[in-house]
Amino acid sequence: MAEMEVKESKKKGPGVKKGKKHSTRVDLTPMVDLGFLLITFFIFTTTVQQPTSMNLNMPKDTKDQKDLTKVKESGSLTLLLGKDNVVYYYYGNDPSTMKTTNYKDVRDIILKKKKSTPASDLFVIIKPDKDATYKNAVNILDEMDINQIDRYAMVDPTPDEYSKIQQTEQANGIQ
Amino acid sequence: MARAKIKRGSTSIDMTPMCDVAFLLLTFFILAAQFKPAEAITVVTPSSVSNKVAAQKDFMQVTISKDNKVFMNMDPAIKKDVLVELGKERNINFSQDDIDHFVNAQFVGSPISQLKQFDQMDPTKVKGSDLPGIPVDSSNNELQAWISAIVNARMGEKMNYLIKGDSQAKYSTFKQVIDAFEKNDQYKYYLVTSSENIPEGSELYKKNLEEQLHGKAPSTNE
Repeated sequence: MAEMEVKESKKKGPGVKKGKKHSTRVDLTPMVDLGFLLITFFIFTTTVQQPTSMNLNMPKDTKDQKDLTKVKESGSLTLLLGKDNVVYYYYGNDPSTMKTTNYKDVRDIILKKKKSTPASDLFVIIKPDKDATYKNAVNILDEMDINQIDRYAMVDPTPDEYSKIQQTEQANGIQ
Repeated sequence: MARAKIKRGSTSIDMTPMCDVAFLLLTFFILAAQFKPAEAITVVTPSSVSNKVAAQKDFMQVTISKDNKVFMNMDPAIKKDVLVELGKERNINFSQDDIDHFVNAQFVGSPISQLKQFDQMDPTKVKGSDLPGIPVDSSNNELQAWISAIVNARMGEKMNYLIKGDSQAKYSTFKQVIDAFEKNDQYKYYLVTSSENIPEGSELYKKNLEEQLHGKAPSTNE
């Protein structure tokens, strides 16, 4: 127990100094506070750790040219994921008009395209280059979710596009 | 007449029992908490706005490490069936001992030819960086054989395919993993990510807000 009885000292003769007795009682309130604080902390940190998952549905591979998804040139936006977290993009069908951006600004580009195109025509083509990381791919898929793009596809870049990316990378000094 | 004296009690309460209880609870929680088993493969997952919790049942998880090696683990309940099925498909004889070792092993981290030796390794000494991983090249995609064994062992029952990739992993490795699934006609995957808040003002944010206003539960991403 935190309290201890302190015996009254018996009267000593005159001139004998009384030793001042301090109370041994300690206020335990801060200690209780600390205890509960720690409990709360541990409980919160143990339950929060749960991984989430993101759905990804891939289409079935079709050999038949007829079954391929047709995309309107006016409604398409192609995003090429390159090395070093760089995104290249172009509208329509002409890779030579390719521009460079990054993962922060790509949202504005997608949104602008979304606003200027009828919803039924909009199609985003994602082409991760072989130097792109897995994180890049997840980020861009996430971007589709955030911007509510319903129609998008993930395909490999054509050799044309790939060489164009490499040229741009060399010009920008990306190793 | 003298009024009855009301005895004034002290307002300070003895905190000792309360303190005891607090620390008792604290000790209990700390001791009862399960320690996270040291992971043989450390993976830092990218984050996404998705808020779905990853499946814990009937799952098969492919892990892609930082150095682009592929590992696999699955629901312990189906492990035995899968190994037997794989043995049938590849004409390998797995003894009862091999099966037991396989069920005890935490994950698959070697080509099928070295599987028996791998399963007998001490789990505490297994380190992701020393392991060869499952080959996923287009010439020798063993992951495809594993998935085929799983699909056949499950006989059409639903499986949750989780893919857990490290942020640094190359997209090409991820593509090879996806190819292995597609060859077996499996097109639905769950990418394991850490959660992230939906950026304010974005389309998804507005949509969720609207649904909340109309009394619907906030949508999870499809």
